[in-house]
Amino acid sequence: MDIFAALGNVITDPVLMLWVLAAAIVGMVAGAIPGLTASAAIAMLLPLTFYMEPLSALAFLYVIGKSGRYGGSISAILFNTPGTAASAATQIDGYPLAQRGMASKAMKVATISSVIGDYTGDILLIFGVGLIAAVALRLGPPELFAIYFAAFVVIGSVIGKSITRGLASAVLGVLVNMIGLDPISAEARFTFGSFDLTNGVSLVPLMIGIFVLGEVFSQIEARHSPVEIVDTSRDHDARARNRLSWAEYRPCMPHVIRSSLIGSFIGVLPGLGSSIAAFVAYGEGKRRARNPEEWGHGALEGIAAPESANNAVSGPSMAPLLTLGIPGSTIGAILMGVFLIHGIQIGPTLLITSRELIFSLFACGLIGIAMYGTIGYFGAAWVGRFIIRIPTNVLYPVIFLTSFIAAFASRGNLFDVLVMVLAGFGGWLMKKFDFNPAAFVISFVLAGGAEETFRQSLLLSHNGLLIFVTRPVALAFLIIGVAALVLRARTLGRQAKEAALNDA
Amino acid sequence: MAGRLNQTVIVGAMLALFGIAATLASFQIEIDRDGGWGARIFPLAGSVALVVLGLVELLKGLREGRVTALPAFNAWAIAGLLVVALFYVWAIGVAGYLIATAIAAPLAMLLFGIRDWRALVATAILCPAIYHLIFFEGLGVFPPLGRWFDLLDVIQGY
Repeated sequence: MDIFAALGNVITDPVLMLWVLAAAIVGMVAGAIPGLTASAAIAMLLPLTFYMEPLSALAFLYVIGKSGRYGGSISAILFNTPGTAASAATQIDGYPLAQRGMASKAMKVATISSVIGDYTGDILLIFGVGLIAAVALRLGPPELFAIYFAAFVVIGSVIGKSITRGLASAVLGVLVNMIGLDPISAEARFTFGSFDLTNGVSLVPLMIGIFVLGEVFSQIEARHSPVEIVDTSRDHDARARNRLSWAEYRPCMPHVIRSSLIGSFIGVLPGLGSSIAAFVAYGEGKRRARNPEEWGHGALEGIAAPESANNAVSGPSMAPLLTLGIPGSTIGAILMGVFLIHGIQIGPTLLITSRELIFSLFACGLIGIAMYGTIGYFGAAWVGRFIIRIPTNVLYPVIFLTSFIAAFASRGNLFDVLVMVLAGFGGWLMKKFDFNPAAFVISFVLAGGAEETFRQSLLLSHNGLLIFVTRPVALAFLIIGVAALVLRARTLGRQAKEAALNDA
Repeated sequence: MAGRLNQTVIVGAMLALFGIAATLASFQIEIDRDGGWGARIFPLAGSVALVVLGLVELLKGLREGRVTALPAFNAWAIAGLLVVALFYVWAIGVAGYLIATAIAAPLAMLLFGIRDWRALVATAILCPAIYHLIFFEGLGVFPPLGRWFDLLDVIQGY
C-alpha cells in the first residue's frame, strides 16, 4: 500500500515530476551517446544533486540510471555502436534490422521490452525489499562480512576476461579505500606524511575520474572514427515498414517474461550488472527460440530478450544497497554516496527510518519508466538524429572541463581534482589492460563496511577467525564466494582450451 | 620492442611490486595496544592478496606459450591530455578558476582536433564564464582562488 501513497505524493509534486522528466531525457541521451554511460552521466551530475532535496536528488540519479540503460539501445540500433556494454547484445539483431530500413520498428521493440523488464524488476523490488530487509536485520557482523567477501569475489572474478586482473581491481579498490585515518583508532594508513591524504580518497572524484575522465582518455584515441547513423527516413513506405503490430510482438512476449526474470535475479547479485544479464538472456532466448537461425540477422525476439533483461536489472540491483548497504552496481555505489551526503543511513533499518522516502523513490522509478518509455517509443529516432549532430570533438572537451569543476564542487577541495585526474588516467589504464574499473569502484565503496564488520566479528570472537566458519549463514556465503571463483576459473579454462583447439 | 613484451608478465610483475610496496607500508601501521591487529589487518590482507594475485599473473605469463603484446595506444594524444589535465589542476591552484579554464578549454579543444581560431577564442571566453555562473554563482560553490593571482579579485574586488 505504501507504494500507492507514494505514487500519489510524487504525481502531485510538479517539481519532483520535472526532475524525473529531466532525468528520463538526460539518461536517454547520455546512454545513447557512444562511450558515455549512465554511470558517467550520474557521476558528472552528482555534485549538482548536493544542492537538491534528498528525494529529488535520489530520484534524478536513479531515473538517469534506468533511462541510461535503455538509451544504450538507441546507439546500438542506429549507429551500430553500443551506447552501454549491456546494449552490445541488442546490437546483434538491432543493427541488421536497422540496415533493412526497420530501425524504428527495432527501437519500438527495444522500448516496449525495456519498459516491461524495468517494471518487472521494480515490482519485484517493491514487494521483495521488505522481506530481504527483515532477513538482513537478523544478520550479525560475521554474516555481513561473509556477504561482503562473497561480493568482492563475485565482483572481481565474474566480470571481465581475466580473473586475476578482476580480483586485483577489487583489491586495489580496497587498498585505496584504506588511505587516510583508521575510523576506529585514528591511526594514519598509507598517508606517507601527506596532510591531504589523511582525509582519505573521496568517492565522488574517484568516480568522476574513472567513469568520466577515463572515457575522455579513451575517446581522444577514437576521435578520428566518425559515427554514422542508419537511414531513418519517414516517407510513406518507411512508415508502413516500421509499424509494429501485436502479431509481430506477440512471439517476443515469452522471451521478455523469461528475460525479465533472468535480469531481476542477476540484478540482486552484487556486481554482475546489466551486460551479463543481457548476454545470458540473449543466449537463453536463442537456445529456446523457435527460429534460432534468424537470431543474429534481425530477429525481433533477439532485441526483446536482452533489452528486457538489461533493464530488469535496475530495480533489483537496489535491493542489496537498500537492505544491506552493499551496492550491487556502480550506479548503486553512486546512490550510496548520495544517501550518505544527505545524512541517510542505509542498511537493514532504512525501511524503518526512511520508509516514506524509499517508497517515494520507487514511485519516481515507476513514473520514470513510463516517461522514458513514452519518449523512446515516439522519439528514439529523433534522439538518434540529435546525438549525431553533437560533434564529439566539442562534446568531449566540454565533458573534460565539466569533470574538473564537478570533482571540485563535491568538497570544494583542489586535492580532489588531482585525485580525479589520477583516477581518470588509472581508469583508462585499467580498461586498456583488461582490469575491471567497476569492480575497483564497487570494492572501494564496500571496503569500509567490510572492514568494520570484520573487526566487529573479531571483537565478538576475541580475535578468533573460526567465527566465520561456525556460523552457518556466514559459512554459506564464504562457500558461495569460493564456488563462484572456482566455477568462473573452470569456465575460462574451458573457453581457453576451445580457443586453442580452434587456432590449431 | 613493445610488441615482443609479454603483457601478462609485465602486469603480474607490476601488481606484485605494488603489492610488496603496500605490504611494507602496511607494517608501518601500528597494531592495537592490546596486541590485536586493529587498523593493520585489512590493509595488510589486501596488500598480501595483491602480491599473490601478481605472482599468479606472473606465473601465468611465464607459462604462456605465446607472447601477448602490450595494447596499442595513441601515446601523443594520451600524454597530451594527461599533461593538459595536470597543468589545469596546477593552474587553478596558482591562477584561480577563470584564468586556468580560459587556458585549458582551448587546449582541450585543440587536442580533440578543433583548429578554428574563432571557436578557440570563444571557448576561452565562454567556458570559464558559463561554468563560473552555473557552479559558483548559481550553486554557491566557493571558487578555488589562485595563490599568485586571481581574476575574481579584480572583477569583484578584495
